[in-house]
This record gives sequence, structure tokens and C-alpha cells, in this order.
Amino acid sequence: MKLIKDKVAKLSFVALLAAVSASMLYTPTASAHGEKSQAAFMRMRTIHWFDLNWSKEEVAVNDTMTISGKFFVFSGWPETVDKPEISFLNIGIPGPVFIRAGSWVGGQLVPRSISLELGETYDFKVLLKARRPGDWHVHTMLNVKGGGPIIGPGKWVTVTGSMKDFVNPITTLTGETIDLENYNLSNTYFWHAFWYALGLAWLGYWMRKPMFIPRSIAVEAGKADSLISGADKKVAMGFAVGTLAIVAMSFSNTESQFPVTTPLQAGLLRGIKSIEMPATSVAVKVEDATYRVPGRAMQMTLTITNNGDSPVRLGEFNTAGVRFMDSNVAVDETGYPDDLLAEEGLTVSDNSPLAPGQTRTVQVTASDAAWEVYRLADLIYDPDSRFAGLLFFYDAAGKRQLITIDAPLIPSFI
Amino acid sequence: MSASQSAVRSRAEAVKVSRTFDWLICFTLFFVVLGGYHIHYMLTGGDWDFWTDWKDRRLWVTVAPIVSITFPAAVQAMLWWRYRLPFGAVLCILGLLLGEWVNRYLNFWGWTYFPVNFVFPSNLMPGAILLDVILMLSGSMTATAVLGGLAYGLVFYPGNWAIVGPLHVPVEYNGMMMTLADLQGYHYVRTGTPEYIRMVEKGTLRTFGKDVAPVSAFFSGFVSILIYFLWHFFGRWFNSTEFVKSA
Repeated sequence: MKLIKDKVAKLSFVALLAAVSASMLYTPTASAHGEKSQAAFMRMRTIHWFDLNWSKEEVAVNDTMTISGKFFVFSGWPETVDKPEISFLNIGIPGPVFIRAGSWVGGQLVPRSISLELGETYDFKVLLKARRPGDWHVHTMLNVKGGGPIIGPGKWVTVTGSMKDFVNPITTLTGETIDLENYNLSNTYFWHAFWYALGLAWLGYWMRKPMFIPRSIAVEAGKADSLISGADKKVAMGFAVGTLAIVAMSFSNTESQFPVTTPLQAGLLRGIKSIEMPATSVAVKVEDATYRVPGRAMQMTLTITNNGDSPVRLGEFNTAGVRFMDSNVAVDETGYPDDLLAEEGLTVSDNSPLAPGQTRTVQVTASDAAWEVYRLADLIYDPDSRFAGLLFFYDAAGKRQLITIDAPLIPSFI
Repeated sequence: MSASQSAVRSRAEAVKVSRTFDWLICFTLFFVVLGGYHIHYMLTGGDWDFWTDWKDRRLWVTVAPIVSITFPAAVQAMLWWRYRLPFGAVLCILGLLLGEWVNRYLNFWGWTYFPVNFVFPSNLMPGAILLDVILMLSGSMTATAVLGGLAYGLVFYPGNWAIVGPLHVPVEYNGMMMTLADLQGYHYVRTGTPEYIRMVEKGTLRTFGKDVAPVSAFFSGFVSILIYFLWHFFGRWFNSTEFVKSA
């Protein structure tokens, strides 16, 4: 028996040690957002982010940076996701490591929710002010009511300095400049401490006398009324009157100290201006599309017709924020995140300039580890196995045309 | 000592044991109530209590008293009918506020760095004191439900205004007007809490101009009366000892 007890004790000690080690010695920072876990079709067929720019990769506490770019609200929005009639331009960061100093869609400040139209393209900008030091994955993000968060591309940004130095000065309409980081804090602590103390005083008044056993005996014996004395009633009256007086006084003082207050502001912002996109002169038909699982490559057969007046070439395929590029045609110069950029990931069977009036059917292959790393290959497990994305065509002068495609995707396992 | 003999040998010893028992029960009750009430309030009051940009003059005023009068009613029923102790509501609110402050300070501020002036809990103490006093003076659960429940709803908004009011000062921000509380909600990014899930200033109380808070408070007080009755019976039911066979 003793042997068993000793063993149990020893094993328990080892288990405790392991648990403590597991929880204390390995504590990685949760700094990304599960973006790879979001259903692939959500990322490929809802919001297409492009022309993104993170203004800085390193920023000091109190300094600002911007994320700007455009997003196209995909016309073939999936039925399983509510349309973005109530949406909110958010930012994907691990808590308030930055403050959102401003955000604009179509040039309008959007502190509240907005209504977006399918098939429209919007430009946006988010101004961030660094608050907490660390390396943070900063994502574009659009929350859609009934659809959830639709997370866009993210880039690592380093914040340097100390959070102690962070300030958030705001000037109110009454002319006072405050630091929103700690404004009203001592007032909050004071009133909570005050009321807590008053509650403790009430509790203490009753706890100083014998409580459960003698009072239970008295109640059982039919002497319950004797348990509340006249003095108790006076004290209770004092607490009640005092409470009402303090509430009235504190309310009145606050009203006189802050005579101008307004209700919280709420309501949907409509009429957000979209970008007038230039008319396209290239027409694309997706003949078929397959995803070759072992090769981590998507192959499309496209029939391209150039209705314009200058030759064009296909330079980029962008889906779910992953950019597959033909480096002979287009090169990224914006510092786009490496893990989302396949600089030579786009192969076109014949990517010679397509002359005006000409139609050509080509095999296009978009291949990169990003298919697996970003779990876009999981699209084949979605209930509606379709893909979508943006194709960018360029003419010799560098003029760009954006074409959206949307077609079924057939997986190939061999 | 046989089973029929007393465990104590003198009155002094009996008093000492009784007081020890008091402290044990109070300590246990406090933390049991804290845990249960805190979970209940987070699930039902949740965001209205978490963030200043949810603390509006309509829904916060309406919802917070209704969902928070629950445990005080139940614990009052137990402590009053069995022991004539009129501190059930205050005990509950002391537990709830302690749990909330620990949560807000350690989790919201300590782990995720939301400023405390953005995430402090609502003050429920004035209503709790009135609830206990009305029960003690009236000795009636019905009077406590009607008068206390109404008072609990009515006193909530003015009881919090000293803390929340300064955050309702308006500010002009990039061409839009908002309150400082709105600005806190905008500045301190909540990735998982988009603006549209904020349930504030919704409803049809549009004929009362800017004075909707008293109307909301009256409505809250009225529903609090009903909820008090319901949870009072929960308390009595939980407090029943009918299942214990007498020796």
C-alpha cells in the first residue's frame, strides 16, 4: 500500500512539475489572428484587397503609421455570408497595441459602421498610433454583420519605446485638453472605492453581531421580529437616506461640472463613395480551373480578348491577398509581405503581348507554397467549391486593368 | 462523548464556535456568489458593462438593472427568511464588483492593455443598499419587489453618472462629433467587437426628446420588479431543506 502511495505521490509531483513547466517555461506571444484558419472561400470571394501599403515597418510609441489601399467588394459574394450592408472597417491587431487614430473609406471618416455595395471598389486608409512595444502582425480587416470578420493581408510591424510614454491628448468641444489614456481614472477609482466602502460598512454592521446559528434558532422559535431592533432600523434609514443624498449630490455635481454632455453616437453611415474604376477593355472567360493538390498549384484555362487599342499582358493574379506575379511583366515595389507574395508564381503558357482585337486561350498556373501555408487549398472542402480573384493586365506603358474572375474549381489529387 | 452530547462545554465556547461558523459561511457564500453572479452578469449584461461606449442612456440603463437584480433577490430570500439578515443584495454586489474589478484590472488591462477608464464596471451599490434597507424596514418580499425593484432601476443611472458623465463630453474628431466614450471605443481597437454589434441608442423612445434616460430607468425598474419576484422564488427554492430528513 505504501509503495502505491509513494508512486502516486511521485507521479503527482512529476505531473505537477510538467504542468508548471508547460505553463511557465513556454509562453509564446499570441500575436497573429488565425487568418489562415478562416474559410478559404471567405477570403477569396468576399473582399479583395489590393494596392496595399504599410507606411512603416518600425514605429516608435506615439508615432503614427498608415495602412492604405483599395478593396473590391466582390460581385459574386457567396450566399452563405450576409452581404456587407452593415460593415465596419477594422484593423486586425492583438488588442490596442496601436490606437486607431483615424480610418477613412472613400475619403469619409468611418468611426461607425458603413454600408457597402457589391461590385464596387473603395479606397481606404487607417491611421495608427503606436502604443505598446513589440512585433505585431497588422492586418487589414472588414467586419461584416452576419458574415464575421473578413481578414485581409497582414504585415509585421515593430513598435519600439515604452508604453509608459504613450499619451493620447484630445481637445473636447468645451475647450479642455485631456489625455484619454487616463482621463477620469481617479474619479472612477474614487467613486467605486467609496461605494464599495459603503457596502462593506453595511455588511460590517450586520456581521459584527452573531449571525447564522443564533438567528436561525430565533427564527425557528418564532422570534424573528426580535432580531431587528429599533437601532437597526435607524441605521438602515440612515443608509437609505445617505445613499439617496449621495446619489443626488454626485449627480448634481457632475451635471454642474460637465454641463455639456451628449449621448453616445451611433448609426449606420451610408453613401460611402466608391472609386470610379476605368472601363476595362480586356475580357476574360474561365474555361476551366483545377487545383493540383500535390503540386500546390492552380491551373486555369483562360480565353482572353483584348478589345482595347494597345497590347496587354497578364501580370498578376491576386486571390485572398496572395499575389502570384509574372516578374517579366510586373514587379512589386511596395514592400508587400513576403509570405503573401509569389514574385514568380504566375506562369502563362503564352504571355506575349496580346494585340488589340486578338483573342487567345492560355494556360495560367498560379503556384506557390502559399496555397498550403495560407490554407487556400482547403477551398476544395468548402460547400461551394468556387474560387475568385483579380487579374491584372498591363500594357507597354504600364497602364493597368483589373478584371475579376469567378469560376468553379476542380481538385486534382494525382 | 456520545452522539447525543453537545460538542461544546460552555456558553463562551458555543459563542466562539458560532462565530467561527459565521465567518466560514460568510467567506464561502461570498465567493460562491461572486463566481455564479459574475458569470451570470457577464453572460447577460456583458458588453454593456465592459465598455464605456456601450454605457448609453437607453439600453445600458434598461438592461443592467434587470439582469443584475437576479442574484440579490435570490440571496435576500435566503438570508432574510432563514436568518433575518438584510444584507443579501449588498453581499452580492460586493462579490460581483470584486470579481469584476479583478477581471477588468488583470485581464482587460493587465493582459490586453485596454485602459481601465474604458473598461470599468457599472456601479450597482446604491440600488443594492436601497434593496436591503427596504426589505429590512418592510419585512415584505412584495414591498421589496415593488419598491425596491423600482428603486433599483431608477437609481442606477444617476448612481453611475458621476463616473460615466465625464466621458459624455463631446469632441470634434476629424469633422465628426462624438463623445469621449465613443472615441475610446474607436481608438482602443477591439478586433472581435466591431462597431455594429454595439447596441446603443436603439429603440423607439423618440418622443421624449433628450430625456430618455428617466423613461428607460422607469421601464427598467418595472421589469426589475418582475425579475425580483422570479428570482426571489428561485432563492426560496434553492434554500429549501425539505429534502433533508430530520434525525
